[in-house]
Amino acid sequence: MAPEHPKESHEMDHDAKPPPPSSKSVVKDAKKKKDEKKDEDLSEEDQALKQQLELYVERVQDVDPAIQKVALEAMREEIRTATSSMTSVPKPLKFLRPHYGALKSYYEKMVNAELKRYLADVISVLALTMSEDGDRESLRFRLQGSVGDIGSWGHEYVRNLAGEIGNEFQQRQIEEQPVDDLMDLVKQIVPFHVKHNAEPEAVDLLMEVESLDLLIEHIDKGNYKRTCSYLTSFASYVPEPDDTLVLDIAYQLYCKFEKYPDALRVALRMDNTQYVKSIFAACKDLSEKQQLCYILARQGISLDLDEELADSNEQRDILQELISNSKLSEGYLTLARDLDVMEPKTPDDIYKAHLIDGRASAGASVDSARQNLAATFVNAFVNAGFGQDKLMTVPSTDSLTGSSSGSWLFKNKEHGKASAAASLGLIALWDVDGGLPLVDKYLYSNDNHVIAGALLAVGIVNCGVHNECDPAYALLSESVNKEDPTTRIGAIMGLGLAYAGSQREEVRSNIHTLVHDFKVGIEVAGFAALSLGLVYVGSCNEDVAQSIILALMDRSEAELGEPLAHFLCLGLGLLYLGKQDAVDATMEVAKTLHEKISKFCQVTLDSCAYAGTGNVLKVQAFLSLCGDHLEKGDSHQAPAVLGIALVAMAEELGLDMAIRSLEHLLQYGEQNIHRAVPLALGILSVSNPKISVMDTLSRLSHDTDSEVAMAATVSLGIIGAGTNNARIAGMLRNLSSYYYKDPSLLFCVRIAQGLVHMGKGLLTLNPYHSDRFMLSNVALAGLISFLHGSLDMKSIILGKYHYVLYFLVLAMQPRMLITLDENLKPLSVPVRVGQAVDVVGQAGRPKTITGFQTHTTPVLLATGDRAELATEKYIPLSSVLEGFVILKLNPDYQQDHLGS
Amino acid sequence: MPTVSVKWQKQVFTGVEIDTEQVPYVFKCQLYDLTGVPPERQKITVKGGLLKDDGDWENLGVKEGQRLMLMGTADEIPKAPEKGPVFIEDLPEDEQGTAALGHTAGLVNLGNTCYMNSTVQCLHSVPELRLALKEYSAAVGTGIDPLLHTLTAATRDLFGELDKSLRPVAPIHFLTVLRKKYPQFAQQTNHGLYMQQDAEECWTQLLYVLSQRLQSVPQDEEEATNPVVKHLFGIELKSFIKCAESAEESSESETVYTLKCHISSEVNHLHEGLKQGLKSELEKTSPILGRSTLHVKESHINKLPPYLTVQFVRFFWKRESNQKAKILRKVGYPLVLDVFDFCTEELRDKLKGPRKVYQETEDAKVGLKKKEKEGAEGVKALQNLGTSTSDENVEMVDDAGQHPSSSEKVCAPEPEVTGIYDLVAVLTHKGRSADSGHYVAWVKQDSGKWIEFDDEQPILQKEEDITKLSGGGDWHMAYICLYKARVALPH
Repeated sequence: MAPEHPKESHEMDHDAKPPPPSSKSVVKDAKKKKDEKKDEDLSEEDQALKQQLELYVERVQDVDPAIQKVALEAMREEIRTATSSMTSVPKPLKFLRPHYGALKSYYEKMVNAELKRYLADVISVLALTMSEDGDRESLRFRLQGSVGDIGSWGHEYVRNLAGEIGNEFQQRQIEEQPVDDLMDLVKQIVPFHVKHNAEPEAVDLLMEVESLDLLIEHIDKGNYKRTCSYLTSFASYVPEPDDTLVLDIAYQLYCKFEKYPDALRVALRMDNTQYVKSIFAACKDLSEKQQLCYILARQGISLDLDEELADSNEQRDILQELISNSKLSEGYLTLARDLDVMEPKTPDDIYKAHLIDGRASAGASVDSARQNLAATFVNAFVNAGFGQDKLMTVPSTDSLTGSSSGSWLFKNKEHGKASAAASLGLIALWDVDGGLPLVDKYLYSNDNHVIAGALLAVGIVNCGVHNECDPAYALLSESVNKEDPTTRIGAIMGLGLAYAGSQREEVRSNIHTLVHDFKVGIEVAGFAALSLGLVYVGSCNEDVAQSIILALMDRSEAELGEPLAHFLCLGLGLLYLGKQDAVDATMEVAKTLHEKISKFCQVTLDSCAYAGTGNVLKVQAFLSLCGDHLEKGDSHQAPAVLGIALVAMAEELGLDMAIRSLEHLLQYGEQNIHRAVPLALGILSVSNPKISVMDTLSRLSHDTDSEVAMAATVSLGIIGAGTNNARIAGMLRNLSSYYYKDPSLLFCVRIAQGLVHMGKGLLTLNPYHSDRFMLSNVALAGLISFLHGSLDMKSIILGKYHYVLYFLVLAMQPRMLITLDENLKPLSVPVRVGQAVDVVGQAGRPKTITGFQTHTTPVLLATGDRAELATEKYIPLSSVLEGFVILKLNPDYQQDHLGS
Repeated sequence: MPTVSVKWQKQVFTGVEIDTEQVPYVFKCQLYDLTGVPPERQKITVKGGLLKDDGDWENLGVKEGQRLMLMGTADEIPKAPEKGPVFIEDLPEDEQGTAALGHTAGLVNLGNTCYMNSTVQCLHSVPELRLALKEYSAAVGTGIDPLLHTLTAATRDLFGELDKSLRPVAPIHFLTVLRKKYPQFAQQTNHGLYMQQDAEECWTQLLYVLSQRLQSVPQDEEEATNPVVKHLFGIELKSFIKCAESAEESSESETVYTLKCHISSEVNHLHEGLKQGLKSELEKTSPILGRSTLHVKESHINKLPPYLTVQFVRFFWKRESNQKAKILRKVGYPLVLDVFDFCTEELRDKLKGPRKVYQETEDAKVGLKKKEKEGAEGVKALQNLGTSTSDENVEMVDDAGQHPSSSEKVCAPEPEVTGIYDLVAVLTHKGRSADSGHYVAWVKQDSGKWIEFDDEQPILQKEEDITKLSGGGDWHMAYICLYKARVALPH
């Protein structure tokens, strides 16, 4: 019986094929012959191997257990020693394939437990190539097989097994069966993967079986970086609340290997103050602590260091100073001096009227208040943070006529003077000591607009910078209760800007009564709500929410119809920025509001709560809202369009999809949607001038609907903000000649021009930083406030409230890399700056940048750029080279004598 | 008595003692000595608030060594200027347009009337003419065509409207009167549409009408008929007619309103064209030979007007196609034209003085130093000149507009023409024949900017694009150029 068996099975194999249709039988016959021929073509060696294996299969089914055992072991040996190549099936497996069925059926009949396990091992491996999809036979036989070193069966086998475990696990979860045996396998597989450069697969498997914490013990110094980068980058694709779990593991890993700066980034991403504190407690090195402080400052988190978190009082003062961001101005000016851009620029330098073809703006003989206001803003944006300009801060030369700065101020009309005075704040941005003296004299003006502007300027100067003496609160708190509404708004907005994200109790008690006070106008209440929203951004603060809801409930219908009533909703929304379902309770209340504002409020809440989460379901919900055809008067579609952008901006894939969806809205949406689409496109690529977005906006900027054109023009400024992008600058110049007769549009063009050259190209508005890993809530809140202001361009930005443009200050950050030595003095080192490459999940040490150039620090970093040190002499304390980075001397560094 | 440190701007004053017995105002006075900031301008942050002048130190709990922040400067408080700037948004609506755009309104095309629109826009650019028309109020005299009066009045009204209006003006009344006076402009096609006309014809006729009616206020009998138009545009030519066969010569003088630029195959530039235009051959009966012979007529300019009109003779009557065909040849023209070469000997002598003065002022402007050594008198003269040239526009207006006839009587030095002219307006034509295509006016504004008046649409243009209208293709090409004289004040 035995000798005939292989032949039989061989024939069976052929016969098993379905009978060929008659018409093709000839072809099939030929093929069959070819198969046979191929069989004969085998080299002698292979032929021998084949026969050997056939013999083993025969002997496995022998009656003598001893023979069986020898045969099985020989078979195992053959399979194991065969090198597992990725491109072809190993020979032993190939020759054993035909016997899979036979072996399986024999297995069922076997009685000897030990031998049965051996055979199960072999069948499990054979199942790798043979089993049907979804059968999970490999796993089944594995579980019945011997407990042993599964790695010896080859990488491919383990990988296949891991996949089947995932499926099986889910199945058993549904059926509520125990999973212990699976977990035993997992515990074997994970170390195998980790050992073999396949950390992502280990992570995936552990995610599937929901026990990611097993990972920690297997990760070592050599592979934690790859593991963590995989964990942190796939966290954005994991639904809440699992993403926190993933980040938590990354945090623990970083802590385990004492990579505190990276751990801090993860902790900040999780928004976990407890972790932040424990990192400070764990970190012992002063330089590293200082680096931690710089990271905190960039994120805009003000942490009060306790006794335990710092070694001495003296040290605490140093660290606290860094956290307060008071070095920002200094660093920024260092960069500016290094790049030689300190010379102030005038609006005319930006407009570059001489480059415009033909019809430049005709030499108007009379001052236009609107164009002067535009020039004020352009001047402020362009010279932001430099402390000097050519309009506002020119030193007074003549004591008789008053300083010349006064004269430009008074070239603005009424409320324009507020923005002009406030522009001083922007010019002296972050420089509290230098900025406040500039602003001081305007606080004594007899013109309420000027006072309001000066108060706002105080807020702007202190934006993102915390001073121990709290000058902003001291100066602003009293003016909040002045008679004049303009002055009040100036003080309120100033407080909002200065204390954004700080959750300062004093500020709350100072302005929260205004929100629901009937005696104040809706505009004051709106700004008060917005400022509270900024101060308590993402905090879910109950008290503030209560006050705003009260105001929304009690105001009359007419008041709720005013454009500034929308700021009440926005303030409420900012409280829940990025907090996802924490908004649910407030959302229920929003449904009960007056119908005039209810829908708007709900959509705004939703868009804020899910901003930066990438939640696909929310994007779909917003899209379906945009599909509705509205009765006149409803205004909730515009925030829904913004919502799409805010939610989808979280990661690149969703972002690209959102841009495509917005294109669809442009084709099929109604007019009120059209008006919001440019702004949504703007926020999707803030300070990141993508050609495709640029072209769309350029097209829209010539739209027949002037509101669409205005929004598109401003958005061109947003996407090019701080980039000096020549293409956008050219487009805007052309627009300025195209719209030279339309003062409103020309104003928008000017604003956009100012934004593109913001900080002479040293600033960015992008709320994402640290390799796009972290999102600054405060910056995002500033952008959202600006966007909501732009939704109703005519009544807000072109009306009396153009100072909402200053909300952008919250998002302004220098896009620089400054390297410091251990004494925090700037240190010039060569760095390579190039396009970032995604190296997540790649084995080895792949290059992280491409197309790089070598510069010496300080350098500018564009969006999507990454820097790496070009010298071995120093070791950076932060793995992400952005902002301030402290360098330590590399102890292993040896001067390369050949090189020098 | 706690000592604190006080931070003021970028300085820190350490060891400032506080006398807690005294009111904080005393402390502020202490700081005044240190910083020079008056106490009432001092703002000191204490406990999240500002230090009050009459506050109580006890409650503030100032600790030893605490750091206080002093804000405030001694800077003067900015005051609003007595007279705030006037903003365009504050102006009445009808003034906003010209103020914002720096040019006047366009003219609506009433159906193939671009020839007329462009003519009106070009003539409108002459301030002296505008002024003269503004003052025109003469009653209909007896014995003259009443239509002359109505057309002049219509022109006056139209100019007035152009100056005021924001929106394009529809010259309906003017057109009606024009067609009444000159029925050839009312030609219609078979379909009852008004036909395109030759702008040059319109220009000539309109100037003729104005020259008839616009006469200066008679000061005395002899000067009663000193016409403004003739003064502004009239070019006095002196011609020598030479018989080709006999040696006989005669001369005559005439006043023309335009210089013709003939375009032949040798002409590439305005200069050459003008030279040819001033030479002509004509058949004339020779009194000596007693028969008609060929005479050569050579003309020279004997008197230069403030405004020189140059016409490119681009159209000729083409018999076979029965229409005015166009010569597309490119003929360049300069932004600054010197006609010295075309003048008679006498005029050249006369021009030499002003030209020298003019040259000197130009040199002075560009800062050539050679004159400065000539002593105080020279410098003084130069200064005088400097101011006068910058005001030349105004002076021209005074001269030609308000007192056109009194030019010889006023003792003050009158500006004299130099023979150098600036291009101020171009009337272009686009198309293949005079009675078809499109006419457009390109006018230089007082601000130095060029505006293309394409019917109702004024478009800003660059100066270098103006010289590109010289022909040689199917683009707009210059048909009539209006040059304005540069003047110099004699010593």
